[in-house]
Amino acid sequence: MVKLEFYDPSSVLEVTQPHAPRLASLEGKRIGFVSNEQWQAYRMLPMLKEMLEQDFPGVTVLPIDTFPQGNALIGNEETAALVKKSKVDAVIVGNAA
Amino acid sequence: MKNAVSGVGLAPDAAMVTFPIPMFLPGADLSSLKARKGEFYDGLTRWKSEFAQAAGTAKMLAVEGASYEDALVKANNLLLTSLWGDGLPLWPATKERVDWMLRGSALPRTHVLGKFPPRGGITTLETCAIALAMAGGRPEYLPVLTAAVEACLEAEGFDQLQATSGGPFPAVIVNGPIAKQIRLNSGFGLLGPDPQQPAGASIGRALRLLQQNVGGALPGVGTMAIFGAMRYTNAVFAEDEEGLPPGWQPHGTLRHGFAPGTNSVSVVFASGVTNVRRRGAKKESPEEDALNGMWRMADFMRAPNLAALAGWEKGTPGIMMLAPIVARRMAELGWTQQSIREFLWENSKIPMAHMRRAGAPAWIEIDANPVTRASIDLDPWPICQKPDNIVLLVAGGGHPTHSYWLQAHSPTVEGRVIRVPETFDRLLADADRDLAGRA
Repeated sequence: MVKLEFYDPSSVLEVTQPHAPRLASLEGKRIGFVSNEQWQAYRMLPMLKEMLEQDFPGVTVLPIDTFPQGNALIGNEETAALVKKSKVDAVIVGNAA
Repeated sequence: MKNAVSGVGLAPDAAMVTFPIPMFLPGADLSSLKARKGEFYDGLTRWKSEFAQAAGTAKMLAVEGASYEDALVKANNLLLTSLWGDGLPLWPATKERVDWMLRGSALPRTHVLGKFPPRGGITTLETCAIALAMAGGRPEYLPVLTAAVEACLEAEGFDQLQATSGGPFPAVIVNGPIAKQIRLNSGFGLLGPDPQQPAGASIGRALRLLQQNVGGALPGVGTMAIFGAMRYTNAVFAEDEEGLPPGWQPHGTLRHGFAPGTNSVSVVFASGVTNVRRRGAKKESPEEDALNGMWRMADFMRAPNLAALAGWEKGTPGIMMLAPIVARRMAELGWTQQSIREFLWENSKIPMAHMRRAGAPAWIEIDANPVTRASIDLDPWPICQKPDNIVLLVAGGGHPTHSYWLQAHSPTVEGRVIRVPETFDRLLADADRDLAGRA
């Protein structure tokens, strides 16, 4: 038998921070949206807002345009700071396609 | 999305709800959003990362076969099924082969060039050597590859360029004596393949393997490149510096300010390649022949397809290649690098009425760059902010019929000096021994 050993070419990833902890429940929580304003987000995200408000008593869902929108803006530090300042418990980011 | 989160240091997964693409088109039926609302709620409450700890460490792979050929087939099968191949045969990156590649640099193999976006794989000199080994490269190619990787990692918006549906590919322009030394083509068929000057194929293929395997640009998963031109080898070629007319400067000098004779790379992200028939067909005078050809080039560039929007301010709308015989004749008629770029810029401006009928202003209005957004007031609309943005090269075969346009999607044009080890001459002597052959 011939054995051939060679390198895994995918290199390594460095995990430097954990994902945000999940919420125990959505009831009474404050939810925000960060939207790139593309791919029908203007239709989908308001539907999600309405469903959350119907399904979870006491939930507060911020308006879709609370934070800066668009691919150029949603990933920057200023937007992240605004999200933190808003004291939301969770954020839904959309839409990728 | 997995690439995006791992690229910022999170574990490589995310709470996602995915739908088929028709749902994202105008007028789509959104009823399934309601039917699957529970998945959104679970994502906020119950989802757990499957990669809560470190995502892994570098490792060696192994296959066994009844013969070397059998093992080679199994190695290639393993690379393909692990989604690390490109469909062409690969050299498994054995320790011996990777050590050979590393002779192309004086830096330690652990030297970190950066994180390759969007996935964020740590990119070391060894990572590049592994890719070059797999791509069938040679050690004297490593300096060009590492300079090109550095330029890519430094390029503005490279994470988005890797993933975008427009599918830009790196076009690596090499200047300096290293091009001829390593057998990199600047003449006939410079976009390859060429067995007489094979360097561009494996350097570009290695860069593509890095983009896919380390950067995560897997078609349909990590890159949404709908068509994905030039994805086997990208485009790695040299400018024909010997073909530059007197007084014309090499691209590395003109664009990046490197001294003439400096070994350098310049990376443009191109999204298309095409001939522009330049030569006249009947009894044109030399002046008419030159001017008609210039008009054909400018007319071709004057398209409201918004390809160049990403590079409007600082990047480039594309690379125009003039064959050396054409450049020489035009220079004899008084054309300069500057006057050619000014002509192309001035005459590729698009009337705003044409922009409007193509729906183009909406894309300008939402552009991330405020300078680009402000350009909406210009009528006619120039395809880039200034003539200097256009990359003009002297390259290609010694034949006057065509020019060549590589349309760009390039927010910047990044240049890097190429560093070679002190032992480089020995590598070139080895290459002469191996490749000089009958050519």
